[in-house]
Amino acid sequence: MRKKIFGNMCVISILAILVTSIFVVGVFYGDFVEKMKSEVETEAGYIKTAVEQMGEEYLDEILSQPEVNRRNRITLVNSDGTVIFDSYYNPQSLENHRKRPEIQAALTEGTGRCSRVSDTLQQETYYYALKLDNGMVLRVANTSSSVYASLLRVIPLVLLICVIVSAITMLIATRQTKKIVQPINELNLKKPEENDTYDELAPLLGRLEKQNKTIKLQIEELKVKQREFTALTENMSEGFLVIDQDGNVLSYNSSALELLGMKQAIGEKQNILTFNRSVGLQNVVDEALKGNPSEQEIQVEGKYCQIMANPVTSKKQIKGAVIVIMDVTEKQQREQMRREFSANVSHELKTPLTSISGYAEIMKNGLVKQEDIPRFAENIYKETARLITMVGDIIKLSQLDENQVALQKEEVDLYSVAKEVVERLQATASGHKVTLSLLGESRTVNGVRQILDEMIYNLCINGIIYNREGGYVQVRVENREGHTILAVKDNGIGIPQSDQQRVFERFYRVDKSHSKQVGGTGLGLSIVKHGAMFHRAGIEMDSIPGSGTEIRIVW
Amino acid sequence: MRIRFEQQLEQLNIELIKMGALCESAINKANEALLNVDKNEECVAEVMGIEDEINQKERDIEALCMKLLLQQQPVARDLRQISSALKMISDMERIGDQAADIAEISKYVQVRQNASKIHIGDMAKATTKMVTESIDSYVNRDLKMAQEVVRYDDVVDDLFQEVKSELIELVVKDSQNGEFYFDLIMVAKYFERIGDHAENIAQWVEFSITGKHEF
Repeated sequence: MRKKIFGNMCVISILAILVTSIFVVGVFYGDFVEKMKSEVETEAGYIKTAVEQMGEEYLDEILSQPEVNRRNRITLVNSDGTVIFDSYYNPQSLENHRKRPEIQAALTEGTGRCSRVSDTLQQETYYYALKLDNGMVLRVANTSSSVYASLLRVIPLVLLICVIVSAITMLIATRQTKKIVQPINELNLKKPEENDTYDELAPLLGRLEKQNKTIKLQIEELKVKQREFTALTENMSEGFLVIDQDGNVLSYNSSALELLGMKQAIGEKQNILTFNRSVGLQNVVDEALKGNPSEQEIQVEGKYCQIMANPVTSKKQIKGAVIVIMDVTEKQQREQMRREFSANVSHELKTPLTSISGYAEIMKNGLVKQEDIPRFAENIYKETARLITMVGDIIKLSQLDENQVALQKEEVDLYSVAKEVVERLQATASGHKVTLSLLGESRTVNGVRQILDEMIYNLCINGIIYNREGGYVQVRVENREGHTILAVKDNGIGIPQSDQQRVFERFYRVDKSHSKQVGGTGLGLSIVKHGAMFHRAGIEMDSIPGSGTEIRIVW
Repeated sequence: MRIRFEQQLEQLNIELIKMGALCESAINKANEALLNVDKNEECVAEVMGIEDEINQKERDIEALCMKLLLQQQPVARDLRQISSALKMISDMERIGDQAADIAEISKYVQVRQNASKIHIGDMAKATTKMVTESIDSYVNRDLKMAQEVVRYDDVVDDLFQEVKSELIELVVKDSQNGEFYFDLIMVAKYFERIGDHAENIAQWVEFSITGKHEF
């Protein structure tokens, strides 16, 4: 910019200097020529008078007086054109002057003027001719340097002035540019209105202020959106990742870190493989970046994660991918439980059926002695009874599971239900040499009598079976801080810590090898759990292996 | 030019991570082939497939390293990264080979049956941990973890001694199956070697971070 300003100023000043000098030269030259012409004409007048009075001798007199101004050339020409006298040259050597325009004009009109430029353009001669009374023509000529020559003489001076002017212009341009630019450079862009500068900048500052406001608003808006988005993704339990086409992570949430097994957040633009390098994830990402949505399950630190990746395209080009990671551990576990359940059901049902069919086969083949038949029949009867109980239990469970109990809920006195159960089980308890007792007070709950009965029965029977000789089972119905509590406590064998979570699962048994001796279907606690769920009650369990168990149902 | 170089370095980094992941799954599968009685055949086949992939990766990474060295003439840290990558891939390739060897031996039923009698499962776990952590230390440029891996090699060595004495006892008691016990000691030795390779990788990681390499 400074160069441009400097250049423009230079051009203008040099142009001004040139034009001025040309005009000045022109005007002064004109004046000078006019003056010279009138001088020449006046002199011609004097000489004419002198020659007319004194004759040609006057001219010779002029020649002999060198002190007389001889700047002008004086020529006397006869009417036929021959030169009679010339103050510069010998008249004999000069050619006939009749053809000269000034002479011709003087012969016809009395006076004649003419200017001629020399061949070199260096000089210009002005001729003035006067016709004398005797028919001769007197010519006075003055030679001066031409207008071009004068110009040429001026040029070095002009150039010198130009150089000086340029130097000054440079100085001024620098200072001026600085003066213009400095305030702009020192503008406070954050608060443009508060700047103290020259007026010409005011519109710019106004626009800056306006733009600042718009930008501020937009940033605010974006920030709010970003916060919303972050809040959304951060609170997702699913992991969320955005990657670009090279596989670098652009954005992620903390769930993603957790699910992929990363301990701490990482820096900018990391490749997804630094998060997790399992082959499953690699495949999913590769597929997505090829443009195909894909899905895979991987295992991270004992958790099952389902990974879904979708390509992000813009203008038919793949720009990256969005990856969603879900923790499907629970789903996997449920599926496994279901698989185990069907395996268990078939196994549990098959065992009694196998023994029944075995007994029946022996009897059919007549291999049994007559006196053994009642014993065999007894066995078959026992196994069928076991089967029936088990099928009954399964039906009850599935009813509870589906919440399809046909019975209406009513107000039931829990104590009286417990009392009935305890009375019914007295015989069994004494058979196992276990004392069964009931404590507490009358409490009513909203529920189904039959299911409650079933729950208490199952809890008690577990307490009796998994007990030692001389042990006790105690049923309590009580009120604790407004909650009705049904507790069944025994001092039996207890449940190991590792199994406590799983005893409520169907067919789960702590001691798998002795189930046949102990009896039971393996569904008891499962029924209790589903019963409690049906009644919207919670289950608490305290158990110490070797010293007893207490299970509480809390309304 | 510079940007391209950086991209290629990043690509080298990613390829190394991928190769590391392949090594991890090779050991895991070899381990499963040895200890999981039901899935032996498919696991062995998988290990062999992974081993081929590892060999291919080694060649690819080697070519990439050479290209980087010749075309870009890296210096200082970049040079360290590339030279340690060159060393690391040969260790990784050996890990792949040894996983394949373990899988090969695990084809014998008697080997598998006897494997559960000794602490070979613990060895497998310890070496897997070493390999995983050595690659983790590379991924995260974690000097501390790399040093930990180097120290952890002692644990694997101790386990190898333990397995050895267990096997000696078994051979004395049950000399009829002696052949398979020798196979098992080979397996244990392979695991021990894998541990050594993981240690090497960790040392190269240390070198690429600090510029110092100790043997």
